[in-house]
Amino acid sequence: MTSTRTTAATAAADEAGANQIGGSKVVEDLKISRFAPFRNTVITIVNLTLFFTAWEIVARAELVNPLFFPRITDTFEAIYTGFRDGVIGPELQHSVSNLLIGLVISAAIGIPVGLFMGASKTADLLLSPYVWAMTSLPRVALIPLLILIMGFGNQMQLTIIVLSAVFPIMVNCMAGVKTVDPSLLRAGRVFGTNSFQMYVKIIFPFTLPFVISGINQGIARGLVGMLIGELLGGGGAGLGFLLDRAGDRFDAPMLYATLLLLAVMSVALVQLMRWLERRVAPWRDLPS
Amino acid sequence: MARTAANDRPQAALASPEASRIEDDRETVIVADRVTAGYENRRAKTRLIALRDVSLEIRRGEFLAIVGPSGCGKSTFINMIAGFLKPLEGTMTVDGKPVRGTGADRAMVFQDYALLPWRTVERNVQFAMENRGNRPSKAEQAERVAEALGLVGLTGFEKAYPHELSGGMRQRVGIARALVTKPAILLMDEPFGAVDAMTREAMQAEFERIISQTRQTVIFITHSIDEAVMLGDRVAVISNRPGTIKEVVDVDLPRPRLEGDAKSSPRFAELREHIWSLLQDEALGAKEAK
Repeated sequence: MTSTRTTAATAAADEAGANQIGGSKVVEDLKISRFAPFRNTVITIVNLTLFFTAWEIVARAELVNPLFFPRITDTFEAIYTGFRDGVIGPELQHSVSNLLIGLVISAAIGIPVGLFMGASKTADLLLSPYVWAMTSLPRVALIPLLILIMGFGNQMQLTIIVLSAVFPIMVNCMAGVKTVDPSLLRAGRVFGTNSFQMYVKIIFPFTLPFVISGINQGIARGLVGMLIGELLGGGGAGLGFLLDRAGDRFDAPMLYATLLLLAVMSVALVQLMRWLERRVAPWRDLPS
Repeated sequence: MARTAANDRPQAALASPEASRIEDDRETVIVADRVTAGYENRRAKTRLIALRDVSLEIRRGEFLAIVGPSGCGKSTFINMIAGFLKPLEGTMTVDGKPVRGTGADRAMVFQDYALLPWRTVERNVQFAMENRGNRPSKAEQAERVAEALGLVGLTGFEKAYPHELSGGMRQRVGIARALVTKPAILLMDEPFGAVDAMTREAMQAEFERIISQTRQTVIFITHSIDEAVMLGDRVAVISNRPGTIKEVVDVDLPRPRLEGDAKSSPRFAELREHIWSLLQDEALGAKEAK
Protein backbone atom coordinates (compact mmCIF):
# COMPACT_ATOMS: atom_id res chain seq x y z
CA MET A 1 0.00 0.00 0.00
CA THR A 2 2.78 2.32 0.94
CA SER A 3 4.72 1.58 -2.23
CA THR A 4 1.84 2.57 -4.48
CA ARG A 5 1.44 5.75 -2.53
CA THR A 6 5.07 6.86 -2.84
CA THR A 7 5.35 6.10 -6.54
CA ALA A 8 2.13 7.94 -7.13
CA ALA A 9 3.55 10.93 -5.26
CA THR A 10 6.80 11.08 -7.25
CA ALA A 11 4.98 10.54 -10.51
CA ALA A 12 2.68 13.40 -9.63
CA ALA A 13 5.68 15.61 -8.92
CA ASP A 14 7.29 14.68 -12.25
CA GLU A 15 4.10 15.40 -14.09
CA ALA A 16 3.70 18.73 -12.37
CA GLY A 17 7.21 19.64 -13.49
CA ALA A 18 6.64 18.55 -17.07
CA ASN A 19 3.36 20.38 -17.07
CA GLN A 20 4.96 23.68 -16.32
CA ILE A 21 7.66 23.26 -18.93
CA GLY A 22 5.44 22.33 -21.84
CA GLY A 23 2.33 24.39 -21.41
CA SER A 24 0.11 21.79 -23.04
CA LYS A 25 -1.72 19.38 -20.81
CA VAL A 26 0.51 16.59 -19.62
CA VAL A 27 -1.35 15.31 -16.58
CA GLU A 28 -4.42 13.36 -17.49
CA ASP A 29 -6.88 11.81 -15.09
CA LEU A 30 -6.60 8.11 -14.65
CA LYS A 31 -9.71 6.05 -14.17
CA ILE A 32 -8.89 4.17 -10.99
CA SER A 33 -11.52 2.74 -8.69
CA ARG A 34 -11.80 4.79 -5.56
CA PHE A 35 -11.54 1.57 -3.59
CA ALA A 36 -8.08 0.92 -5.00
CA PRO A 37 -6.25 2.40 -2.00
CA PHE A 38 -7.97 -0.11 0.30
CA ARG A 39 -7.03 -3.08 -1.83
CA ASN A 40 -4.02 -4.11 0.22
CA THR A 41 -5.88 -3.59 3.49
CA VAL A 42 -8.66 -5.84 2.28
CA ILE A 43 -6.14 -8.47 1.23
CA THR A 44 -4.50 -8.34 4.65
CA ILE A 45 -7.84 -8.69 6.43
CA VAL A 46 -8.87 -11.65 4.29
CA ASN A 47 -5.44 -13.17 4.72
CA LEU A 48 -5.54 -12.94 8.53
CA THR A 49 -9.13 -14.18 8.67
CA LEU A 50 -8.19 -17.25 6.66
CA PHE A 51 -5.18 -17.81 8.88
CA PHE A 52 -7.18 -17.63 12.10
CA THR A 53 -9.95 -19.80 10.64
CA ALA A 54 -7.41 -22.45 9.65
CA TRP A 55 -5.98 -22.20 13.15
CA GLU A 56 -9.39 -22.69 14.69
CA ILE A 57 -10.13 -25.73 12.49
CA VAL A 58 -6.79 -27.38 13.26
CA ALA A 59 -7.25 -26.69 16.98
CA ARG A 60 -10.83 -28.01 17.05
CA ALA A 61 -9.78 -31.13 15.17
CA GLU A 62 -7.19 -31.58 17.93
CA LEU A 63 -4.50 -32.54 15.45
CA VAL A 64 -2.05 -31.11 17.95
CA ASN A 65 -2.27 -31.55 21.70
CA PRO A 66 -4.60 -28.73 22.89
CA LEU A 67 -2.22 -28.19 25.78
CA PHE A 68 0.23 -26.58 23.35
CA PHE A 69 -2.19 -25.40 20.75
CA PRO A 70 -5.36 -23.72 21.99
CA ARG A 71 -8.22 -22.55 19.84
CA ILE A 72 -7.79 -19.02 18.54
CA THR A 73 -11.21 -18.17 19.95
CA ASP A 74 -9.97 -19.19 23.40
CA THR A 75 -6.89 -17.08 22.88
CA PHE A 76 -8.94 -14.02 21.97
CA GLU A 77 -11.16 -14.71 24.93
CA ALA A 78 -8.08 -14.86 27.17
CA ILE A 79 -7.08 -11.42 25.89
CA TYR A 80 -10.58 -10.07 26.50
CA THR A 81 -10.97 -11.46 30.02
CA GLY A 82 -7.35 -10.63 30.79
CA PHE A 83 -7.99 -6.97 30.06
CA ARG A 84 -11.44 -7.04 31.74
CA ASP A 85 -10.10 -8.56 34.94
CA GLY A 86 -7.04 -6.35 35.04
CA VAL A 87 -4.61 -9.21 34.56
CA ILE A 88 -3.01 -7.98 31.35
CA GLY A 89 -3.46 -4.20 31.61
CA PRO A 90 -0.96 -3.37 34.34
CA GLU A 91 1.62 -5.80 32.97
CA LEU A 92 1.31 -4.38 29.48
CA GLN A 93 1.62 -0.88 30.85
CA HIS A 94 4.67 -1.88 32.86
CA SER A 95 6.38 -3.38 29.82
CA VAL A 96 5.51 -0.58 27.42
CA SER A 97 6.56 2.18 29.78
CA ASN A 98 9.79 0.36 30.61
CA LEU A 99 10.53 -0.08 26.93
CA LEU A 100 9.79 3.53 26.09
CA ILE A 101 11.82 4.92 28.99
CA GLY A 102 14.65 2.57 28.06
CA LEU A 103 14.54 3.70 24.45
CA VAL A 104 14.56 7.38 25.38
CA ILE A 105 17.58 6.85 27.60
CA SER A 106 19.28 4.82 24.87
CA ALA A 107 18.63 7.51 22.29
CA ALA A 108 19.84 10.24 24.65
CA ILE A 109 23.13 8.39 25.15
CA GLY A 110 23.50 6.62 21.81
CA ILE A 111 22.85 9.48 19.39
CA PRO A 112 25.40 12.02 20.71
CA VAL A 113 28.07 9.41 21.37
CA GLY A 114 27.54 7.86 17.94
CA LEU A 115 27.68 11.23 16.19
CA PHE A 116 30.82 12.11 18.10
CA MET A 117 32.44 8.80 17.18
CA GLY A 118 31.59 9.36 13.54
CA ALA A 119 33.10 12.81 13.54
CA SER A 120 36.24 12.26 15.57
CA LYS A 121 38.76 9.64 14.52
CA THR A 122 40.29 9.68 17.99
CA ALA A 123 36.96 9.08 19.70
CA ASP A 124 36.26 6.26 17.29
CA LEU A 125 39.64 4.67 17.93
CA LEU A 126 39.28 4.91 21.69
CA LEU A 127 35.67 3.87 22.05
CA SER A 128 35.12 1.34 19.30
CA PRO A 129 36.62 -1.73 21.03
CA TYR A 130 34.08 -1.33 23.84
CA VAL A 131 31.20 -0.43 21.58
CA TRP A 132 31.76 -3.38 19.27
CA ALA A 133 32.29 -5.77 22.18
CA MET A 134 29.02 -4.62 23.72
CA THR A 135 27.22 -4.70 20.37
CA SER A 136 28.15 -8.31 19.72
CA LEU A 137 27.85 -9.66 23.28
CA PRO A 138 24.57 -11.56 23.74
CA ARG A 139 22.49 -9.60 26.24
CA VAL A 140 21.44 -12.68 28.21
CA ALA A 141 25.02 -13.13 29.31
CA LEU A 142 24.75 -9.94 31.35
CA ILE A 143 21.70 -11.00 33.36
CA PRO A 144 23.51 -12.79 36.21
CA LEU A 145 25.89 -9.88 36.64
CA LEU A 146 23.09 -7.32 36.60
CA ILE A 147 21.05 -9.32 39.11
CA LEU A 148 24.12 -9.49 41.29
CA ILE A 149 24.56 -5.74 41.12
CA MET A 150 20.98 -4.52 41.15
CA GLY A 151 18.86 -7.39 42.43
CA PHE A 152 15.49 -8.29 40.97
CA GLY A 153 14.04 -4.84 40.66
CA ASN A 154 12.76 -2.71 37.87
CA GLN A 155 16.13 -0.98 37.72
CA MET A 156 17.68 -4.17 36.43
CA GLN A 157 14.98 -4.58 33.78
CA LEU A 158 15.45 -1.01 32.60
CA THR A 159 19.22 -1.40 32.50
CA ILE A 160 19.02 -4.46 30.29
CA ILE A 161 16.73 -2.61 27.88
CA VAL A 162 19.13 0.31 27.67
CA LEU A 163 22.14 -1.97 27.24
CA SER A 164 20.30 -3.75 24.43
CA ALA A 165 19.11 -0.70 22.57
CA VAL A 166 21.90 1.81 23.01
CA PHE A 167 24.59 0.13 20.92
CA PRO A 168 22.69 -0.37 17.68
CA ILE A 169 21.67 3.28 17.90
CA MET A 170 25.26 4.33 18.52
CA VAL A 171 26.70 2.23 15.70
CA ASN A 172 24.13 3.49 13.20
CA CYS A 173 24.74 7.13 14.05
CA MET A 174 28.45 6.61 13.66
CA ALA A 175 27.96 4.92 10.29
CA GLY A 176 25.67 7.75 9.21
CA VAL A 177 28.25 10.43 9.88
CA LYS A 178 30.92 8.41 8.09
CA THR A 179 28.85 7.96 4.96
CA VAL A 180 28.03 11.64 4.44
CA ASP A 181 28.43 12.27 0.74
CA PRO A 182 31.91 13.84 0.36
CA SER A 183 30.74 16.16 -2.39
CA LEU A 184 28.15 17.63 0.01
CA LEU A 185 30.99 18.36 2.40
CA ARG A 186 32.89 20.03 -0.44
CA ALA A 187 29.81 22.05 -1.32
CA GLY A 188 29.63 23.06 2.34
CA ARG A 189 33.22 24.28 2.22
CA VAL A 190 32.80 26.13 -1.07
CA PHE A 191 29.78 27.95 0.26
CA GLY A 192 31.47 28.94 3.45
CA THR A 193 30.12 26.78 6.26
CA ASN A 194 32.09 26.77 9.47
CA SER A 195 32.28 23.47 11.31
CA PHE A 196 29.16 24.19 13.37
CA GLN A 197 27.14 25.04 10.26
CA MET A 198 28.57 21.99 8.53
CA TYR A 199 27.20 19.87 11.36
CA VAL A 200 23.80 21.47 11.61
CA LYS A 201 23.14 21.95 7.92
CA ILE A 202 24.81 18.97 6.30
CA ILE A 203 26.04 16.21 8.56
CA PHE A 204 23.10 15.95 10.92
CA PRO A 205 20.32 16.07 8.31
CA PHE A 206 22.22 13.51 6.28
CA THR A 207 22.55 11.27 9.32
CA LEU A 208 18.94 11.56 10.47
CA PRO A 209 17.67 8.54 8.52
CA PHE A 210 20.51 6.50 9.98
CA VAL A 211 19.56 7.68 13.46
CA ILE A 212 16.04 6.52 12.86
CA SER A 213 17.04 3.14 11.52
CA GLY A 214 19.32 2.87 14.55
CA ILE A 215 16.35 3.51 16.79
CA ASN A 216 14.44 0.96 14.77
CA GLN A 217 17.05 -1.66 15.52
CA GLY A 218 17.17 -0.40 19.08
CA ILE A 219 13.46 -1.15 19.40
CA ALA A 220 13.91 -4.70 18.20
CA ARG A 221 16.87 -5.28 20.50
CA GLY A 222 15.20 -3.44 23.35
CA LEU A 223 12.15 -5.71 23.11
CA VAL A 224 14.40 -8.73 23.49
CA GLY A 225 16.12 -7.05 26.42
CA MET A 226 12.77 -6.25 27.98
CA LEU A 227 11.60 -9.85 27.71
CA ILE A 228 14.74 -11.49 29.01
CA GLY A 229 14.79 -9.04 31.89
CA GLU A 230 11.22 -9.92 32.77
CA LEU A 231 11.58 -13.64 32.16
CA LEU A 232 14.89 -14.19 33.88
CA GLY A 233 15.04 -11.22 36.20
CA GLY A 234 12.06 -12.45 38.20
CA GLY A 235 10.72 -8.98 38.90
CA GLY A 236 7.14 -10.25 38.94
CA ALA A 237 5.88 -7.69 36.46
CA GLY A 238 5.53 -7.18 32.73
CA LEU A 239 4.53 -9.27 29.75
CA GLY A 240 7.50 -11.56 30.30
CA PHE A 241 6.15 -12.31 33.74
CA LEU A 242 2.72 -13.08 32.24
CA LEU A 243 4.36 -15.49 29.81
CA ASP A 244 6.32 -17.14 32.55
CA ARG A 245 3.28 -17.57 34.79
CA ALA A 246 1.03 -18.79 31.98
CA GLY A 247 3.67 -21.39 31.14
CA ASP A 248 3.89 -22.54 34.75
CA ARG A 249 0.11 -22.92 34.91
CA PHE A 250 -0.20 -24.72 31.55
CA ASP A 251 -2.49 -21.86 30.56
CA ALA A 252 -2.03 -22.14 26.80
CA PRO A 253 -4.65 -19.53 25.76
CA MET A 254 -3.02 -16.94 28.01
CA LEU A 255 0.43 -17.87 26.72
CA TYR A 256 -0.68 -17.39 23.14
CA ALA A 257 -2.58 -14.25 24.05
CA THR A 258 0.60 -12.69 25.47
CA LEU A 259 2.62 -13.70 22.43
CA LEU A 260 0.00 -12.15 20.18
CA LEU A 261 0.14 -8.92 22.15
CA LEU A 262 3.92 -8.86 21.90
CA ALA A 263 3.73 -9.39 18.16
CA VAL A 264 1.20 -6.58 17.74
CA MET A 265 3.28 -4.29 19.92
CA SER A 266 6.52 -4.84 18.01
CA VAL A 267 4.87 -4.59 14.60
CA ALA A 268 3.22 -1.33 15.65
CA LEU A 269 6.52 0.15 16.85
CA VAL A 270 8.43 -0.94 13.76
CA GLN A 271 5.72 0.42 11.44
CA LEU A 272 5.72 3.71 13.30
CA MET A 273 9.46 4.04 12.81
CA ARG A 274 9.26 3.11 9.14
CA TRP A 275 6.62 5.75 8.65
CA LEU A 276 8.85 8.25 10.43
CA GLU A 277 11.82 7.18 8.33
CA ARG A 278 9.95 7.96 5.14
CA ARG A 279 8.73 11.24 6.53
CA VAL A 280 12.16 12.59 7.43
CA ALA A 281 13.94 11.40 4.29
CA PRO A 282 11.55 11.30 1.34
CA TRP A 283 14.50 11.50 -1.04
CA ARG A 284 15.79 8.08 -0.04
CA ASP A 285 14.15 5.27 -1.93
CA LEU A 286 13.33 3.01 0.94
CA PRO A 287 11.94 -0.39 0.15
CA SER A 288 8.49 -0.52 1.63
CA MET B 1 63.53 24.59 -5.20
CA ALA B 2 64.52 28.20 -5.32
CA ARG B 3 61.73 30.70 -5.77
CA THR B 4 62.39 33.30 -8.41
CA ALA B 5 60.46 36.42 -9.16
CA ALA B 6 57.33 35.80 -11.13
CA ASN B 7 58.34 37.86 -14.14
CA ASP B 8 61.55 36.05 -15.01
CA ARG B 9 60.30 32.52 -14.68
CA PRO B 10 60.30 30.28 -17.74
CA GLN B 11 57.06 30.55 -19.63
CA ALA B 12 57.40 27.19 -21.33
CA ALA B 13 53.93 26.00 -20.60
CA LEU B 14 52.36 29.15 -21.91
CA ALA B 15 54.69 29.83 -24.77
CA SER B 16 52.77 28.07 -27.46
CA PRO B 17 52.33 30.29 -30.53
CA GLU B 18 48.59 30.38 -29.97
CA ALA B 19 48.89 31.62 -26.44
CA SER B 20 51.30 34.41 -27.23
CA ARG B 21 48.98 35.66 -29.94
CA ILE B 22 46.39 36.76 -27.44
CA GLU B 23 46.37 40.48 -27.21
CA ASP B 24 44.59 41.04 -24.00
CA ASP B 25 45.04 43.82 -21.55
CA ARG B 26 42.71 42.34 -18.98
CA GLU B 27 44.43 41.71 -15.67
CA THR B 28 45.30 38.20 -14.68
CA VAL B 29 43.22 36.96 -11.78
CA ILE B 30 44.40 33.41 -11.22
CA VAL B 31 48.06 32.52 -11.49
CA ALA B 32 49.37 29.00 -11.16
CA ASP B 33 53.14 29.19 -10.86
CA ARG B 34 54.92 25.90 -11.43
CA VAL B 35 52.40 24.04 -9.39
CA THR B 36 52.96 20.43 -8.49
CA ALA B 37 50.13 18.69 -6.71
CA GLY B 38 49.25 15.26 -5.55
CA TYR B 39 47.76 13.09 -2.90
CA GLU B 40 49.45 11.21 -0.12
CA ASN B 41 48.69 7.60 0.45
CA ARG B 42 49.88 7.09 3.97
CA ARG B 43 49.20 3.38 4.01
CA ALA B 44 51.37 2.70 0.97
CA LYS B 45 53.76 5.48 2.04
CA THR B 46 53.60 6.94 -1.44
CA ARG B 47 52.68 10.24 -2.97
CA LEU B 48 50.70 10.21 -6.15
CA ILE B 49 51.65 13.18 -8.29
CA ALA B 50 48.58 14.34 -10.21
CA LEU B 51 50.02 17.52 -11.71
CA ARG B 52 53.60 18.48 -12.29
CA ASP B 53 55.04 21.92 -12.92
CA VAL B 54 51.89 23.52 -14.21
CA SER B 55 52.01 27.23 -14.95
CA LEU B 56 48.94 29.04 -16.19
CA GLU B 57 47.55 32.53 -16.05
CA ILE B 58 43.86 33.16 -16.22
CA ARG B 59 42.52 36.63 -17.02
CA ARG B 60 39.51 38.30 -15.54
CA GLY B 61 36.34 37.53 -17.44
CA GLU B 62 37.97 34.75 -19.38
CA PHE B 63 36.32 31.41 -20.08
CA LEU B 64 39.05 28.82 -19.75
CA ALA B 65 38.19 25.25 -20.64
CA ILE B 66 40.48 22.53 -19.42
CA VAL B 67 40.41 19.29 -21.33
CA GLY B 68 42.34 16.09 -20.84
CA PRO B 69 42.04 12.36 -20.40
CA SER B 70 40.41 11.13 -17.24
CA GLY B 71 42.78 10.96 -14.34
CA CYS B 72 45.05 13.63 -15.78
CA GLY B 73 44.68 15.90 -12.79
CA LYS B 74 42.26 18.48 -14.15
CA SER B 75 40.05 18.12 -11.08
CA THR B 76 43.11 18.50 -8.91
CA PHE B 77 43.81 21.81 -10.60
CA ILE B 78 40.33 23.18 -9.99
CA ASN B 79 40.35 21.85 -6.43
CA MET B 80 43.47 23.90 -5.78
CA ILE B 81 41.80 27.05 -7.05
CA ALA B 82 38.77 26.26 -4.89
CA GLY B 83 41.03 25.86 -1.89
CA PHE B 84 40.38 22.21 -1.11
CA LEU B 85 43.94 21.25 -1.76
CA LYS B 86 47.31 22.94 -1.37
CA PRO B 87 50.05 22.60 -3.98
CA LEU B 88 52.98 20.45 -2.92
CA GLU B 89 55.29 22.81 -4.78
CA GLY B 90 54.78 26.12 -6.51
CA THR B 91 52.08 28.66 -5.75
CA MET B 92 48.49 29.19 -6.69
CA THR B 93 47.33 32.76 -6.34
CA VAL B 94 43.94 34.34 -6.81
CA ASP B 95 43.88 38.13 -7.02
CA GLY B 96 47.52 38.22 -6.04
CA LYS B 97 47.02 36.33 -2.82
CA PRO B 98 48.00 32.68 -2.30
CA VAL B 99 44.89 30.52 -2.00
CA ARG B 100 44.20 29.62 1.60
CA GLY B 101 40.98 27.70 1.85
CA THR B 102 37.72 28.45 0.17
CA GLY B 103 36.41 31.98 -0.29
CA ALA B 104 33.34 33.97 -1.23
CA ASP B 105 35.02 35.05 -4.47
CA ARG B 106 34.96 31.48 -5.80
CA ALA B 107 31.94 29.25 -6.28
CA MET B 108 31.81 25.77 -7.67
CA VAL B 109 29.46 23.63 -9.73
CA PHE B 110 29.91 19.93 -9.10
CA GLN B 111 29.58 17.04 -11.51
CA ASP B 112 27.26 15.17 -9.14
CA TYR B 113 25.29 18.38 -8.37
CA ALA B 114 25.97 18.14 -4.60
CA LEU B 115 22.56 19.54 -3.71
CA LEU B 116 21.17 19.10 -0.23
CA PRO B 117 18.39 16.55 -0.76
CA TRP B 118 16.37 17.73 2.24
CA ARG B 119 16.13 21.28 0.96
CA THR B 120 13.84 22.66 -1.69
CA VAL B 121 15.28 24.24 -4.81
CA GLU B 122 15.07 27.77 -3.40
CA ARG B 123 16.56 26.75 -0.07
CA ASN B 124 19.40 25.03 -1.91
CA VAL B 125 20.19 28.19 -3.80
CA GLN B 126 19.89 30.23 -0.64
CA PHE B 127 22.47 27.95 0.99
CA ALA B 128 25.23 29.81 -0.85
CA MET B 129 24.32 33.07 0.91
CA GLU B 130 23.56 32.06 4.45
CA ASN B 131 26.84 30.78 5.83
CA ARG B 132 29.45 33.51 5.61
CA GLY B 133 29.45 36.72 7.58
CA ASN B 134 27.73 39.88 6.27
CA ARG B 135 24.91 37.88 4.74
CA PRO B 136 22.21 39.82 2.95
CA SER B 137 18.85 40.46 4.56
CA LYS B 138 16.11 37.84 4.22
CA ALA B 139 14.26 39.94 1.69
CA GLU B 140 17.35 40.48 -0.41
CA GLN B 141 18.22 36.80 -0.23
CA ALA B 142 14.77 35.90 -1.53
CA GLU B 143 15.10 38.42 -4.31
CA ARG B 144 18.47 37.11 -5.38
CA VAL B 145 17.30 33.50 -5.24
CA ALA B 146 14.41 34.41 -7.53
CA GLU B 147 16.78 36.23 -9.87
CA ALA B 148 19.24 33.32 -10.03
CA LEU B 149 16.45 30.80 -10.61
CA GLY B 150 15.10 33.02 -13.36
CA LEU B 151 18.53 33.12 -14.98
CA VAL B 152 18.71 29.33 -15.18
CA GLY B 153 15.06 28.97 -16.17
CA LEU B 154 13.79 27.34 -13.01
CA THR B 155 11.13 29.85 -12.04
CA GLY B 156 8.14 27.86 -10.83
CA PHE B 157 10.23 25.10 -9.29
CA GLU B 158 11.13 26.94 -6.07
CA LYS B 159 9.35 24.47 -3.82
CA ALA B 160 10.44 21.28 -5.59
CA TYR B 161 12.92 18.91 -4.01
CA PRO B 162 16.01 17.80 -5.94
CA HIS B 163 14.83 14.18 -6.12
CA GLU B 164 11.76 15.35 -7.99
CA LEU B 165 13.85 16.95 -10.74
CA SER B 166 15.68 15.54 -13.75
CA GLY B 167 19.47 15.56 -13.88
CA GLY B 168 19.60 18.61 -16.12
CA MET B 169 17.26 20.54 -13.84
CA ARG B 170 19.28 19.57 -10.78
CA GLN B 171 22.38 20.95 -12.40
CA ARG B 172 20.52 24.19 -13.14
CA VAL B 173 19.95 24.42 -9.40
CA GLY B 174 23.68 23.81 -8.92
CA ILE B 175 24.46 26.62 -11.34
CA ALA B 176 21.93 28.98 -9.73
CA ARG B 177 23.49 28.26 -6.34
CA ALA B 178 26.93 29.10 -7.69
CA LEU B 179 25.71 32.28 -9.40
CA VAL B 180 23.54 33.66 -6.62
CA THR B 181 26.39 35.26 -4.69
CA LYS B 182 27.79 36.75 -7.90
CA PRO B 183 31.26 35.35 -7.28
CA ALA B 184 34.12 36.64 -9.41
CA ILE B 185 35.21 33.15 -10.31
CA LEU B 186 33.08 30.20 -11.30
CA LEU B 187 34.69 26.78 -11.02
CA MET B 188 32.98 24.03 -12.94
CA ASP B 189 34.05 20.44 -12.52
CA GLU B 190 32.56 18.54 -15.45
CA PRO B 191 29.19 20.11 -14.76
CA PHE B 192 27.39 18.49 -17.69
CA GLY B 193 29.18 15.17 -17.42
CA ALA B 194 26.22 13.40 -15.84
CA VAL B 195 23.40 14.72 -18.02
CA ASP B 196 22.26 13.10 -21.24
CA ALA B 197 23.58 14.29 -24.61
CA MET B 198 20.54 16.31 -25.70
CA THR B 199 20.14 18.08 -22.39
CA ARG B 200 23.84 18.67 -22.39
CA GLU B 201 23.80 20.62 -25.63
CA ALA B 202 20.83 22.70 -24.52
CA MET B 203 22.56 23.46 -21.24
CA GLN B 204 25.77 24.49 -22.95
CA ALA B 205 23.84 27.01 -25.02
CA GLU B 206 22.08 28.33 -21.97
CA PHE B 207 25.26 28.48 -20.00
CA GLU B 208 26.99 30.45 -22.74
CA ARG B 209 24.09 32.92 -22.68
CA ILE B 210 24.19 33.20 -18.88
CA ILE B 211 27.92 33.82 -18.77
CA SER B 212 27.66 36.44 -21.50
CA GLN B 213 25.38 38.30 -19.08
CA THR B 214 27.24 37.76 -15.82
CA ARG B 215 30.75 38.00 -17.31
CA GLN B 216 32.42 35.88 -14.71
CA THR B 217 35.79 34.25 -14.93
CA VAL B 218 35.04 30.62 -15.62
CA ILE B 219 37.28 27.59 -15.24
CA PHE B 220 35.46 24.77 -16.92
CA ILE B 221 36.67 21.19 -16.75
CA THR B 222 35.50 18.68 -19.30
CA HIS B 223 36.67 15.58 -21.06
CA SER B 224 34.70 16.49 -24.16
CA ILE B 225 36.77 18.27 -26.78
CA ASP B 226 33.61 19.59 -28.47
CA GLU B 227 32.39 21.09 -25.23
CA ALA B 228 35.77 22.69 -24.55
CA VAL B 229 35.95 24.28 -28.02
CA MET B 230 32.31 25.39 -28.00
CA LEU B 231 32.56 27.13 -24.66
CA GLY B 232 36.13 28.18 -24.05
CA ASP B 233 37.92 31.41 -24.95
CA ARG B 234 41.00 29.29 -24.51
CA VAL B 235 41.39 25.56 -24.08
CA ALA B 236 44.15 24.20 -21.88
CA VAL B 237 45.06 20.70 -22.96
CA ILE B 238 46.43 18.61 -20.15
CA SER B 239 48.51 15.51 -20.74
CA ASN B 240 48.24 12.24 -18.92
CA ARG B 241 49.33 11.68 -15.36
CA PRO B 242 51.32 13.33 -14.06
CA GLY B 243 49.42 16.14 -15.75
CA THR B 244 51.30 18.91 -17.46
CA ILE B 245 49.89 21.53 -19.78
CA LYS B 246 50.55 20.43 -23.34
CA GLU B 247 49.23 23.50 -25.02
CA VAL B 248 46.86 26.36 -24.46
CA VAL B 249 44.75 26.73 -27.57
CA ASP B 250 43.09 30.00 -28.51
CA VAL B 251 39.53 29.57 -29.68
CA ASP B 252 38.86 32.41 -32.10
CA LEU B 253 35.28 31.49 -32.94
CA PRO B 254 32.75 34.32 -32.75
CA ARG B 255 30.07 34.27 -30.03
CA PRO B 256 27.39 33.30 -29.42
CA ARG B 257 28.60 29.96 -30.67
CA LEU B 258 25.86 27.60 -29.61
CA GLU B 259 22.95 29.72 -30.74
CA GLY B 260 24.92 30.52 -33.86
CA ASP B 261 26.28 27.83 -36.08
CA ALA B 262 29.83 27.56 -34.85
CA LYS B 263 29.80 23.80 -34.80
CA SER B 264 29.56 23.53 -38.56
CA SER B 265 32.27 26.11 -39.25
CA PRO B 266 35.55 24.84 -40.69
CA ARG B 267 37.49 26.64 -37.96
CA PHE B 268 35.68 24.60 -35.32
CA ALA B 269 36.64 21.38 -37.07
CA GLU B 270 40.24 22.58 -37.31
CA LEU B 271 40.51 23.37 -33.62
CA ARG B 272 38.78 20.18 -32.67
CA GLU B 273 41.15 18.22 -34.89
CA HIS B 274 44.17 19.97 -33.43
CA ILE B 275 43.19 19.26 -29.82
CA TRP B 276 42.26 15.72 -30.71
CA SER B 277 45.71 15.12 -32.20
CA LEU B 278 47.29 16.44 -29.01
CA LEU B 279 45.21 14.12 -26.88
CA GLN B 280 45.55 11.22 -29.25
CA ASP B 281 49.31 11.32 -28.81
CA GLU B 282 48.63 11.17 -25.12
CA ALA B 283 46.37 8.17 -25.33
CA LEU B 284 48.79 6.31 -27.58
CA GLY B 285 51.76 7.35 -25.46
CA ALA B 286 50.05 6.02 -22.39
CA LYS B 287 49.48 2.72 -24.14
CA GLU B 288 53.11 2.36 -25.17
CA ALA B 289 54.29 3.22 -21.71
CA LYS B 290 52.32 0.29 -20.36
